Amino acid sequence: MLLRGRLAHDARRRLSRGLATVTVATVTLFAASGLFASSSLSRGVLLTMLPFASALAIAALGQTLVVMQGGIDLSVAGGFSLYVVIVTKYPAGDNARLLPAIGIALLAAVAAGSVNGFLIGRMRLNPIVATLGTNALLYGAVLWYTAGIPTTTTARLARVGGGLWLGIPKPVYFAVVAAALVTAVIKVTPSGRRFEGVGANPTAARIAGIRVERHRTGAYVWAQILYCLGAILHAGIVNQPTAYEGNNYLLPSVAAVVLGGTSLLGGRGNLVATAVAALFLSQLDQFVLALGVTYATRQLVQAAALAVGVALYTVDWRTVLRRLPGRRSAGVAPT
Amino acid sequence: MTMRRSVVLLALALTSVGVMLSAATSSARPTAVPSWCGPKKITLGLTDGFGGNSWRLVTTASARDEAKKCPSVTSLTYADGQGNTQKAISDIQGMVAKGLTALVVFPDAGKAILPALRSSYKAGVVTVPYRVTPGGKAGVDYNVFIDTPFAQAGENWGRWILRVLPKGGNVLMLSGPKGNSQGVEENQGLHKILDPTHKYKFIGEQPFEVTNWDPALSQKVLSADIAKYKKIDVIVSDFGPSLVGALPEFTKSGRTIPALATSDGNVLGCFWKKNVAKNPTFKLFTVSTQNDHARLAIDWAVALATGGKKPATTHFPSLVFEDSTTGKPHPVECKPSLPGDIYLSAKLPATVQAKLVKK
Repeated sequence: MLLRGRLAHDARRRLSRGLATVTVATVTLFAASGLFASSSLSRGVLLTMLPFASALAIAALGQTLVVMQGGIDLSVAGGFSLYVVIVTKYPAGDNARLLPAIGIALLAAVAAGSVNGFLIGRMRLNPIVATLGTNALLYGAVLWYTAGIPTTTTARLARVGGGLWLGIPKPVYFAVVAAALVTAVIKVTPSGRRFEGVGANPTAARIAGIRVERHRTGAYVWAQILYCLGAILHAGIVNQPTAYEGNNYLLPSVAAVVLGGTSLLGGRGNLVATAVAALFLSQLDQFVLALGVTYATRQLVQAAALAVGVALYTVDWRTVLRRLPGRRSAGVAPT
Repeated sequence: MTMRRSVVLLALALTSVGVMLSAATSSARPTAVPSWCGPKKITLGLTDGFGGNSWRLVTTASARDEAKKCPSVTSLTYADGQGNTQKAISDIQGMVAKGLTALVVFPDAGKAILPALRSSYKAGVVTVPYRVTPGGKAGVDYNVFIDTPFAQAGENWGRWILRVLPKGGNVLMLSGPKGNSQGVEENQGLHKILDPTHKYKFIGEQPFEVTNWDPALSQKVLSADIAKYKKIDVIVSDFGPSLVGALPEFTKSGRTIPALATSDGNVLGCFWKKNVAKNPTFKLFTVSTQNDHARLAIDWAVALATGGKKPATTHFPSLVFEDSTTGKPHPVECKPSLPGDIYLSAKLPATVQAKLVKK
C-alpha cells in the first residue's frame, strides 16, 4: 500500500516535471519561431507541420508504452513502413478496399507486437536485439509485398490525412484522442496502474502477484497498434509514400519519449508530454527549415535538441552545481 | 545388304530431321541480331546498389529486355544491394566467384564500390559500371563507364525556363541527398544557361534544397519555402513524381502552382492534367527519367564480352520528353488506367511496366 502510494506520488511529481519542461520548451520554440523565422508560423506551414506532428505523436505514444516497461522498440521503422504499404497497396486506389486494408494492417500490427512481446516478455531477450531482428523481418515483409514500389494513397485516406475539420488538420484530432485515451487507460484504470507498476519495479510487481510478462508483452502489442494508427495517418498525409517511410520515425519517436521526460530505465510514463514533445520536434524541423540554414546545420540542431533533452532529465544538475569548483570552495567551511 | 541399306536410310532420315530442327531453331531466333551482340556465349550479371523503387524496377526490366535481344547471352543473374554498401560489394564479389563473363553495375555507393569493380576487372570479368561515377579509370579499374551528363538535363531545363519566363524570375531547385553528384551537376547546367542573362535568382539552399527524394521531406521543405518566398516562379526538380504530394502546398497557401521543370512519371502527368485548369501558371516540362540508360550499359558489356560491335558512345543523353507549352516532342502524357509509378518515356511498353509494378 505504501509502495503504491509512493509510486503514485512520484508519478505525479515526475509527470508534472516532464510535461512542464517540454511545454515550456515548446512555447519558447514557438516564440522563437515568431521572432526569428516568422514564416514557420504561416498558415501553410502549420497545416503541413501539424499532420506530421500528429502521426509522430501517435507513434511516440507507442514507443512510450515500451519504454515504460524498460524496453525500447527499434521495430517501429519496419512496422510503420509495413502498415503504410498495406493501407496503400492493398486498396490500390479503390476506396472500398480501404477498410479491409486497415483491418489487415491492424492484424499485422498485433502479430508483430506479439512476436516482440514473446521474444522479450517470455524469452527474456534483450529488447534492442529482439526488436532489431523483428525490424528486419518486417522490412522483409515490406519488400516481399511491394518490391519497394510506392503506391498512391486512396482518395478517401488522403482526405483523412490531408483534410481539415473546423480549420484544423484532421490528424490532430486523432492524436489528441489517442493521447487522451492512452493516458486515461494508464493513469486511471487498475490495469493501467498495474502496467506502470510493473515498469517501475518488476520485482515488487511480481511479489505483489502481477503477471509481469503479460504486461511486457502487452506493451509491445499496443505499441505496434499505435504505430499502425500513426502509419495510416502518414499514408494519408503523404500522397505517394515510399516503402521506407518508417525510417523517419525511429529516432524522432525515441526522441519524443526522452524529451517528454519518460525515463529510458522504465517506470512512470509521461504520455501527454510525449505528444507535446512530438509537436516540439516537428516545429523544430520547420523552424530550422525557415531559418534557411543548410541541411547540415538542420541535422546538428535536431541532434542538439535530443542531447539537451537527455541531459535535462538524466543529469543530476544539483550535484553538478554543487561540484563546480567555485561552489565547492564557497561551500567548504574553513577550519 | 538390307542391313546396310537400312542403316544408310536411318542416317539419312536422322540427318534430314537434324537439318529441319536446326532450321526451325534458327528461324525461331530473332531475325535481327543487334550489332553489339557477338558470337561468343556469355553469362551476364547485373547488380544494383538499391533496387527498391519503381524506377529501378523498370530500369532492371529494361536491362533484361535488352539482354534478351542477344542470343549469345545464356543467362542473366540479378542482385539487389538493398541500399547496403557492404551487400552491394559482396554481390559483385559473389558474381565474380560464380565465374560470370560480364557484369553491369549500378554503383550507388560511388567510390566505395571501386575496389570491388577493380577486383572484378582484374579477374577478367567484363565490368561495366553506369550512371553513378565510381571514380577510378576505364581500362584500369573497369572496362568502361557509361555515364549520363546530368548537366545536360540542367541545360534542357534552363533553356525551357528562358522561353517560358523570358523576363526572369525566382528559381527554386530541389534534389535528393545533400551533395549528390546528380543534383550538383544539374545545377551547374542550369546556371550555365541562366546566369549569362542576369535575370534569374536562385532561391533556397544552394546548390539545391535537400529532399532526399523523400515525399514527406519534400512536402515539409516546399511548404517552408512557400511561406518564406512570396514569389516562386519556377521549380526545378530531378524527381518529378516525388512532388505530387508536395505541390498542393501551394493551393493550401492560396497560391497557384508555378512552372515546373523536372523528370517524367505517369503520376506527374496525371497530376498536371487534373490541376492545370485551376493553376494557370502550372506549366510542365520534363526530361526523360532515363530508364533506358541501363540498355546502353548492357549493349557495351555484351559487345565487349561477346565480341560484338561497340556502341558509338559511352554517354547516355538527357532527352526532352514532355512540354505542356508546345506539345513537342510530346504533350503531357497520362494513362489514368495504369499505375502512377510507370515512366512513359521508357522504351519498355507502358502495359509491361504496369504488370511489373503491380506484381
